[in-house]
Amino acid sequence: MAGKKITVVLSQAQGKNPQRRHLEEEIATALIMAPDVDCSVVPHLYDMSHDHTGMLFLRSVPGDLIVLSWLFPRAAHWTLDRAGVKGHEGESLLRDDESDNESDLPQEDDTSLDSIGALDVPNRKIYCIDLRVDDSPQAFINEVRRISDESSIQTVDLMQWINGNPKKDQLERYLHPQQLLQLEVPRSNENGQNRNGQEEDGASNGDSSHQPEPTKRRWYPVIDYDRCTNCMECIDFCLFGVYGIDHRERILVEQQDNCKKGCPACSRVCPENAIIFPGHKTPAIAGADGEVAGLKIDLSKLFGAPSKSALELAVEERDVELVRDGRDAVGMEVGVPKRQTETVATPRDALDDLMDGLDDFE
Amino acid sequence: MSVDLIFPMGKFEARIPTDRVYSSNHLWLQETANRYRAGFTSYSVRLLQDVYFLDWVIDPQSSVRERQEIGEIESSKALSTLYAPFAGIVRAFNEKLLDDPSAINTDNYGTGWLFDFETDAVPLTPEAYVALLADGWEETQRTLKGQFQ
Repeated sequence: MAGKKITVVLSQAQGKNPQRRHLEEEIATALIMAPDVDCSVVPHLYDMSHDHTGMLFLRSVPGDLIVLSWLFPRAAHWTLDRAGVKGHEGESLLRDDESDNESDLPQEDDTSLDSIGALDVPNRKIYCIDLRVDDSPQAFINEVRRISDESSIQTVDLMQWINGNPKKDQLERYLHPQQLLQLEVPRSNENGQNRNGQEEDGASNGDSSHQPEPTKRRWYPVIDYDRCTNCMECIDFCLFGVYGIDHRERILVEQQDNCKKGCPACSRVCPENAIIFPGHKTPAIAGADGEVAGLKIDLSKLFGAPSKSALELAVEERDVELVRDGRDAVGMEVGVPKRQTETVATPRDALDDLMDGLDDFE
Repeated sequence: MSVDLIFPMGKFEARIPTDRVYSSNHLWLQETANRYRAGFTSYSVRLLQDVYFLDWVIDPQSSVRERQEIGEIESSKALSTLYAPFAGIVRAFNEKLLDDPSAINTDNYGTGWLFDFETDAVPLTPEAYVALLADGWEETQRTLKGQFQ
């Protein structure tokens, strides 16, 4: 029965990087043949609009879900959450493990104490796996197998859910999960030229005239509600109408496409580092968890780099976008975090005097 | 003999010896003749962890401005540019570290010294350095966690 299969969704890389495409192809080919797995391929998660068929498909998956994408797992998880694909975070063993051997440095749980958390999370797991953590397709195939085995033990829960009181369309989706997207593989010939060829594989049921719905590159913030405290500094700071408040008075990214491409300013002013721009070059802004293998922390500031503060950077980035829009730059005048003014209001203490004394030495 | 100061970094205790002075960019400076010998404090080393590679971008006997770039370091956890602690003259580098920088980890206050330096600046006392660490600790943790700068 279909319900015993775990659903694997492979989200393609942006662009046409041949190495990435090759890895996707290898994994998808193996998984589509696997008996205990339902595998589908969708475009890049972050670029799909709310009503893209790929997103509709993701929302229709009822049980545990494995999502392979070219995103940090946190970024993928919260991108899905915002799109209404919700679930508890499943733990993949295939991730950067170098960051787990720190017991004495601050590596506490990422969940902020005051965070507002995600709402309406169903009792199922979503395993987000970053395709960048390994070069070998087999590593991902093995991990899918492992999760599939782990997940099948919980089938009881799933059956209870479906035996409960599903709506008709839920049951329909459950019994007949769509296999609507097929793998489109640009085939390259000996000279390395690409032709738009299509590869039909046994498990794909689409006809060859069906083209995957195109996506455009997008750029917008994604909120990690396990960190977000609903402090509203982002909505105060952003002057482009990206953020909004839902009917439960929770912050949300309301108008994704109002966001200014390349501008990560709101994530810099977020006191909880809760705002992810999955496409930003800085791993922390792109949703990395702490340290990343291969990507090292930059301690230059600690060792004396004369750098700007995150707030100064954010203000500059915002001004650039305002001017580009034909508006006036506002500098520090508007929406600058309240905590800055509070700092000024705090009475001086002995440490302040000491610190100022130190400045005089330099 | 003076007693070392201790700055707690989580469970790790960074030892700050009181027989020398410090810079705000986390170097120790110990006066020898008319110059200082400089090296990484235990705080720096704890953040860097195993140092793999050290390189200097200036020659010995170079005059430097405060915070001028003088080198680069790569460790198991981090990459960083290195900067002059004060305006002054870098007289000599610890040549042994260029082939094998492991002394930075094993003996940072001794054989793992970085360079000899002349300056008229007045470095921080050990107490002032520990106070600076305490004051910056929260932000350092944020930096490590968020890498936002």
